[in-house]
Amino acid sequence: MTRGKPRVHVMDRISAWLARGVIAFLYVPIVAVVVLSFNASDVTYRWTGFSTKWYAELAGDTDLLATLLTSVEVAVLAATLATVCGLLAAMGLNRLRSRFRGVFMAGLFLPLVVPEIVLGVALLSIFGALHVGLGMGTLVLGHLVVTLPYAALIVFGAYGSLDPSLGEAAADLGCRGWTAFRKVTFPLLRQALAAAWLLSFTISFGNIVMSTFTNGVGSTTLPLRVYSLLKGGLTPEINALGTLLVLFTFLIIVCVGVRQMRQVLTGGNRSPQ
Amino acid sequence: MTSTAVPGTTGAPGVRRLALSAAMLAPAGVVTLALVVAPLVLVIRNSFARTDAYGNVQGGFTLDNYGRLADPVFLKVLGYSLGVAAATTVACLVLGYVVSYYVASRPPQRQLGLLLLIIVPFWTDFLVRTFAWINLLSPGGPVNSVTDAIGLTSGPAGWIPSQGASFIGLVYAFLPTAIFPIYASLRGIDPSLSEAARDLGCGWWRVHGKVLLPIARPGLLAAFLLVFVPTLGVFVIPVLLGGGKDQLVGNLIVTLYTEFRDQPMGAAVSVLLLVLLLACLAAAGVVTRRLRRKA
Repeated sequence: MTRGKPRVHVMDRISAWLARGVIAFLYVPIVAVVVLSFNASDVTYRWTGFSTKWYAELAGDTDLLATLLTSVEVAVLAATLATVCGLLAAMGLNRLRSRFRGVFMAGLFLPLVVPEIVLGVALLSIFGALHVGLGMGTLVLGHLVVTLPYAALIVFGAYGSLDPSLGEAAADLGCRGWTAFRKVTFPLLRQALAAAWLLSFTISFGNIVMSTFTNGVGSTTLPLRVYSLLKGGLTPEINALGTLLVLFTFLIIVCVGVRQMRQVLTGGNRSPQ
Repeated sequence: MTSTAVPGTTGAPGVRRLALSAAMLAPAGVVTLALVVAPLVLVIRNSFARTDAYGNVQGGFTLDNYGRLADPVFLKVLGYSLGVAAATTVACLVLGYVVSYYVASRPPQRQLGLLLLIIVPFWTDFLVRTFAWINLLSPGGPVNSVTDAIGLTSGPAGWIPSQGASFIGLVYAFLPTAIFPIYASLRGIDPSLSEAARDLGCGWWRVHGKVLLPIARPGLLAAFLLVFVPTLGVFVIPVLLGGGKDQLVGNLIVTLYTEFRDQPMGAAVSVLLLVLLLACLAAAGVVTRRLRRKA
């Protein structure tokens, strides 16, 4: 073994190529869905020619569109509730300096260490015991359980990095309570709140585990419907739907912005020790 | 001192301040207590309950549900699930580390672009990313065309459904989730640190093993949590890509609750899953603490 003299070690080259390979690997399936959604063939994976007929078919599928509407409704409600609860909790906790703070946080982030399927059967059990009928209401509550920890993580992070002197400055200038929130805190948190809402929306919209246990008759979500369709086999129409969902992903990322996204996903600019 | 909604305001914690805090904490607190803690307690309770002939919960106390879990069929599912979850987690951590190191060692401007490349699949719908593999791995599909071209296969060959497809689907689903926390712990490391180690005669493996891995440890632990926990409860991927033959514990719970309507039995499986998971987390915690002390 040479004593590490060469600037670029062989293993550095190998690991760099492996990393590039992995990043490419992340795109192979997505590209396949997009390309094959324009396949004229009935068999999704055998290319016979270009066609947009599956998009036309998708547009005429009222069953699927109805479940899409349900999913959007549930995701909007769950994301809004999660973001508001997360923001209120961040502000409430900040006023508290006690052991209670730790207990509260542990409870709030508990769903992150419990498999979602257990949370789902737990909710199903308690709704059953209380004779609560399954439907839109239970679906939204289930999604709130799943999304709240993520919304809270983002909002807590942003709230914690606010400069405390801003509050003091606002108070010195006679700005307190609601006015201080509206004029100082909220504008500073707006980006983080939008990111929390969009992440919650995305998690709720794509959710299938929790939905399996909390949906009722007439409140089937899009993923549940697609999942049951897929059990009968993949159709080009589902590829077309997948392509639209990929497009939707791009849209959300553009909305949030890459820098903000990195802030959210990797916890800002703090240097590790 | 009245309250301001801006952090950092000090002052005697008056009654009004406390009441306002309580009101702000109430929504999240109620959600946690009513929709997470209470339901989990009920599941634990139900796992000890008797059932009538229709599988309805009848109350009382029995250990029968846990006794029935000793059946080799159930034990096999549990063991297999733990094995699959462990293999998926290891694959995601190793690949996640390689990618994170690659991204973190690029110039800052390129890091953002590379990160964007990882964010797109991360935000893409879970089901889309799963059924995408059906396209790829079906007989006559793109992967088959490649293997035909390089002479690995001749004629239609498919890899769906299979355990291998299920494993690929799992790694694919959770890899982006693993990359972010590892990258977060590696970014911002001074490059001169590994240069110094190299100058002191550390080879590539020792630079990583002794310098970079310890720094990445919190990120690796977070990635472990974010991959291992959800993989243990997964049930969609084994059905769509594995053909539902080799059941995971997630499939078992869904079947018990929605098809057999055997709630106490389903509750017992859920509680066992939870206990096993907590044991794994505790073990992971002990191992990292030991490693930290040694380092």
